[in-house]
Amino acid sequence: MQPFSPVITDKDTAGFFAAAAEHRLVVRSCEACGEAIHPPTAHCPACGSWNTGWRDVSGRGQLYSWTTVWHQVHPAYPVPYTITVVELQDVPGVRFVGRLSGEPQLKAGMPMSVFFETTGDGAVLPNWQLTSGEAMQS
Amino acid sequence: MAAATDAFTHRDRCAIVGIGATDFSRDSGRSELTLATQAARAALDDAGLTVADIDGIVRCDFDSVTHNALSASLGIRGLSYWGEVGPGGVAPCAMVGQAIGAILSGQASTVLLYRCLNGRSDVRFSAGTAPTVQRPVGGKATYDEFYIPYGLMTPGQLFALMAQRHTIEYGTTPEQLGEIALTCRANANDTPHAQTAGRKLTMSEYLASRMISAPLRLFDFCLESDGACAVIVTSAARARDLRQPPVLIRAVAQGAAADTRGGMMYTAVTRKSLVELPAYTVASKLYERAGLGPQDIDVAQIYDCFTISVLMQLEAFGFCEPGAGGPFVASGAIRRDGSVPINTAGGHLSEGYIHGMNHIVEATRQMRGTGAVQVADAETCLVTGGPFPTSSALILRKA
Repeated sequence: MQPFSPVITDKDTAGFFAAAAEHRLVVRSCEACGEAIHPPTAHCPACGSWNTGWRDVSGRGQLYSWTTVWHQVHPAYPVPYTITVVELQDVPGVRFVGRLSGEPQLKAGMPMSVFFETTGDGAVLPNWQLTSGEAMQS
Repeated sequence: MAAATDAFTHRDRCAIVGIGATDFSRDSGRSELTLATQAARAALDDAGLTVADIDGIVRCDFDSVTHNALSASLGIRGLSYWGEVGPGGVAPCAMVGQAIGAILSGQASTVLLYRCLNGRSDVRFSAGTAPTVQRPVGGKATYDEFYIPYGLMTPGQLFALMAQRHTIEYGTTPEQLGEIALTCRANANDTPHAQTAGRKLTMSEYLASRMISAPLRLFDFCLESDGACAVIVTSAARARDLRQPPVLIRAVAQGAAADTRGGMMYTAVTRKSLVELPAYTVASKLYERAGLGPQDIDVAQIYDCFTISVLMQLEAFGFCEPGAGGPFVASGAIRRDGSVPINTAGGHLSEGYIHGMNHIVEATRQMRGTGAVQVADAETCLVTGGPFPTSSALILRKA
């Protein structure tokens, strides 16, 4: 089996993956009140506006949490790998998940940068790496 | 904000009058419907009731057995109320709340609640939430497209992210999480029906157990079990005439955090804080409705899908300050002789995983004074539900 691709045709999230296909990272945002809405919805939960759209963000962030997975649950995800949670630098409070291979030595707050990976069936997935380069393998 | 004038009307007005359980095992050898039927029959016998007395059923949305199936299997002829609560482990305390709502509104008189699963021999939760076939994941407000492609696909991995964040913010240690595992195991060791009744666990064995999703090890994870539990709820007035001393339902509460997201659980990583559970909202509602606080709780059954879920709920329910769960459990406070003994039959970590329903059964035993590990003179028992994406809890008291 191959790693899972995201559904890229959902009406609420397709715009995110369309931007990713252009190697842009975007966050659903309210044009009326500025609320960042992630995970994305068409309706702004902060002010009730329907005037929401996709805002380009810098693709830089800080490491919020992580876990190195040692118990394999799926054949396409060999262990060890490390799931990262990254908080955006320019939209504090918005967090994305990424994956690093192996068991890198990590510390909270480490600077992270987005990069884009193409999955088996052509969808493009934003992923996150340590800004200083490849994570040190232990 | 809604007026609070109607918020106290269920206090002590309904009771748990019957409890039943099957054996908990790795392979029950029988169907989930048979398990549910056996647990329900045991609860009826315990209460001194017959199937003719049951006119309502509330189920958990994750259950494979429907109201109709259980009603047909038991031979209930006049089912006139049914309800469903979820998701999953969030359900049991809220199921009690739904039964109370049905009884106090005149829609039912005596309500059966159940949870049955072949959680070890059939569908195992440890297998995660990814599809078993190759297809794109997500869509339809599941938001799985933001998580599963990266390999975040089990509850254990999500709770590991929480445990890591709790460690970052508060310095929580493996030994502190281990204290929770050891406390539950010691209680299970003295509980004959517990799956780990004869199997001791030491701190060095805990620390040496294999890492599953760091920082969580094997013994930070609950068991996977085959089994069923059932509970019967009726009015406090009717309860007085039944076989068992009634155990009053002091109060029930459901709650969502103000920034609860869509999706089942992985979206929790996008909430303001990964270590601030919806249980804070549940706790304040529950204590207000009960007219009680954490200092009034004599014993507690804390939802323990993982050790970290216990630690964070102890904070949320006010037994210690936010972030102080580690030192609190390390002090021995949750042991059977501590200030708030927890999971007296061993809980999900060591008794069996019946998805929260075994906690209500054990809480009822504690209020009757019949627990295998009985807390002396206990008059109140807190029960909490699964911590994500929303939660529920209740307080029982001795009549």
